[in-house]
Amino acid sequence: MVLEEEGLSIDVLCERLEATRDELLEDLNVLWMCGLPDYTPADLIDFRLEGDRVYLEMADYFKRPLTITRDEALVMFVAGRALLEAKVFKKTGPLGSALKKVESALSRDELGDVENVAERIDLEIDACSGRLWGTIEGGLEKEKNLALEYYSFSRDTVTSREVEPLSLVWSKGHWYLLAWCQTAADYRLFRLDRIKKVRLTSRSPTRKAPEESYMPEVVGEYRPGKKSHTVRLKFFGKEGRRLVEDWPTAEFRENRDGSFTVELRTRNLSWLASYLLRFGDRFRVESPRELAKAVQAKASEILEAYS
Amino acid sequence: MDRIERLIKLTAFLLDTRRPVTLGRLRKTVYLDQEGTEAALRRMFERDKEELREMGIDIKAVPVGPEDDVGYIIPRDQYYLPHLDLEPDERVALTMVSRLFLGSGTPFSGPAHSALLKLAFDAREKMTESRVPHIHWVGVPRDRELLGPIIDGLTRRKLLTFSYRALDATEPVEREVEPYGLFNRRGFWYMVGRCHLRGETRCFKLDRIGSRVEVNKKSPRTPDFKLPRGFNLAKEARWEWPLPSGEEDVVARVSFSQRLAFDSSTGRANVLSSKQRKDGSVEVTYDVGDPEQFVDWVLEFGTDARIVAPPELIEMARERLRGVLTGAVGSRG
Repeated sequence: MVLEEEGLSIDVLCERLEATRDELLEDLNVLWMCGLPDYTPADLIDFRLEGDRVYLEMADYFKRPLTITRDEALVMFVAGRALLEAKVFKKTGPLGSALKKVESALSRDELGDVENVAERIDLEIDACSGRLWGTIEGGLEKEKNLALEYYSFSRDTVTSREVEPLSLVWSKGHWYLLAWCQTAADYRLFRLDRIKKVRLTSRSPTRKAPEESYMPEVVGEYRPGKKSHTVRLKFFGKEGRRLVEDWPTAEFRENRDGSFTVELRTRNLSWLASYLLRFGDRFRVESPRELAKAVQAKASEILEAYS
Repeated sequence: MDRIERLIKLTAFLLDTRRPVTLGRLRKTVYLDQEGTEAALRRMFERDKEELREMGIDIKAVPVGPEDDVGYIIPRDQYYLPHLDLEPDERVALTMVSRLFLGSGTPFSGPAHSALLKLAFDAREKMTESRVPHIHWVGVPRDRELLGPIIDGLTRRKLLTFSYRALDATEPVEREVEPYGLFNRRGFWYMVGRCHLRGETRCFKLDRIGSRVEVNKKSPRTPDFKLPRGFNLAKEARWEWPLPSGEEDVVARVSFSQRLAFDSSTGRANVLSSKQRKDGSVEVTYDVGDPEQFVDWVLEFGTDARIVAPPELIEMARERLRGVLTGAVGSRG
C-alpha cells in the first residue's frame, strides 16, 4: 500500500483493497497492535483515524516495500516477452535493460524458479500494425482525441467519428482501441484492422478517464439489438462445436442423429453468410430464409469469379 | 493472537534482529501466547514460514552455536525492494508491461497490481501516468477459474485432474495430467501435459475442459513429476497451431476489392508483399502455414476477396463452395 501524507479516505482504501468497511477497520486494528514482542511504543505501527481519514506511520522496517516476489517477476517476464514478440518493444531497447534490473532484484534461486516457469508460459500477441499504432499511441500519450474512419462490422459501412482514446486492448486474437466515442456517447471497442484511417486531432477529451481497473468484461461480446436476426443452423460432424468455441454467445444442442443445432443472433447476415462458406456441405441453414438465400448467392457468385 | 498478527510480528522480529533467532527464543517472544507441545509449535512455525514464503518473504535458516542449533533470520538486503535505478524509458516500459494483465481476469492481475505499486514506490520523481500508453490484455470470464489451478499445478509440478471433451468425442472423459506448459493463441488457451490416460503428451484446449480443474492436494511441497528432458513448449504449440515457418509453406496471392482493401488483418499467414492496382484493388502475397485455415479466412471476405494463386488453394475454395451449393439444396428456402 502506497501511503500519502494527506491520508487516505476509508472509502478509497476499501475500494483499493477490495474490503468492506468492517474488514478494513478490523485489519487496521491488527496493525495497531503489532510491533516487536515487548510492545515498546517506538516500535508500533501507528495509525490515526481522524474523521474519515486514515493516517499511517510505519516503523522503519515497513517503510520500504518487499522486494519483488516470484509472482510479480513472473508476470513481468511473461508479459514482457509477449510484448517484445509483438514488436511493441524492441529487443535491444529499454524493456530489455529494465527486465535485467528486475532480475537483479531476485536471488539466484528465485530467478531460477521464475525463469523455469516463465519459459513454459507462452502468450502470443500479434505484431501491431505500424500504420495506425503510432498515431493511436500518440493520442494516448498526448491525451488528444482521434478522428477515425471505421468499418462498422454490423452495419457493413465505413463511418467517421471522433473518439477519446483510453487504451489499446488485445483480446481473443485481435487488437482493439478502447475509446469514448463522441457519436455513440458511450465506450466503444474499435478493432484495429477495421480502422480505415486515423488522425490525431488537437482537441482534448471531454470526459475524465475512468478508474484504471475499468475494462469491458468480454471484448467483442455481441449484444444483439432489436434489429438482429435469430439464426438456426445445423451442422454435421465436429464443425458445429468449433463454431461454438469461436462464438461463445451461440447456443448449441446435440441432436439424436449426431448432428448439432446452433442458434445465435446477429445483425450482419451478409458477413455470416460469408463466414459459413468454409463449412462446405457440412451444414444447413434452417432459418432465416434470407440467410439461406444469401449463402447460396454468395457461393455462386464467388464460384463464378473463380472460373 | 490471530494468524495475521502473528505473521506480521514474526516478520518484524526476524527482520529486526541482528543475529539469527532460534525456535526456542521465538517461543518466548513471538509465539509466547501459543500453548501446546514443542512439536505443535514447530508445525505452526513451519506453516507460518511457508505462508510467508508464498508472499515472497523467505526466512533463512542458518546454523548457530556449537550444538547444531538452527537460527532464523530475514536478511534485510534480500527482503527490501532494492533500488532498481530505472531510467525514465525503462520505467515506462516496465509500467506498460506490468499493466498488461491489470484487470485481465487472469491470475496475473493481482501480481501485476502489486508490481505496479512497487514500481511507483521506487520512482525518484512522480511519473505522470497519463503519458504512458495503456495496453491491456482482456480474456473471458472463465479464464480466471481455470488458469488459477493450472498455473499452480505448472509452478509446483502437481498433477491436475479434470473432465475433458475432445473435439471428436461425444462424451467428456476424466483426465489426469502432468502439466508442463501453457500457451495462448488468438485468445484460446492450451495446456500441454502428459495425459496418464493416453500415456503421451497432449495439448488440451481450455474451452473443452468441462469441469473445475483440481490440483493434487497430497504432499503439497513435493512435486508429483519431473519435467521431461528437452521439453520445448514452442514445438508443442506449433503442432497444435501451425505457423508459416519455412520450406513447407505455401505462397499465396489474394486480390482484395477496393472496398475492403484497407483491412490489414492477416489471418495466421505472414504478409510478404502488397501491391495496389490501378482499379483500387490490392493484391497481397502471403506465406501460409495452414492452407485450410487460410482458405477459410479468405472466404470470410465473400466477394471482396479472391485467391489468385496457387491453384491448389483455389481448388480448395472451389470445393467448399460447391459443397455449400449441394448442401444448400437440402435446406428450407
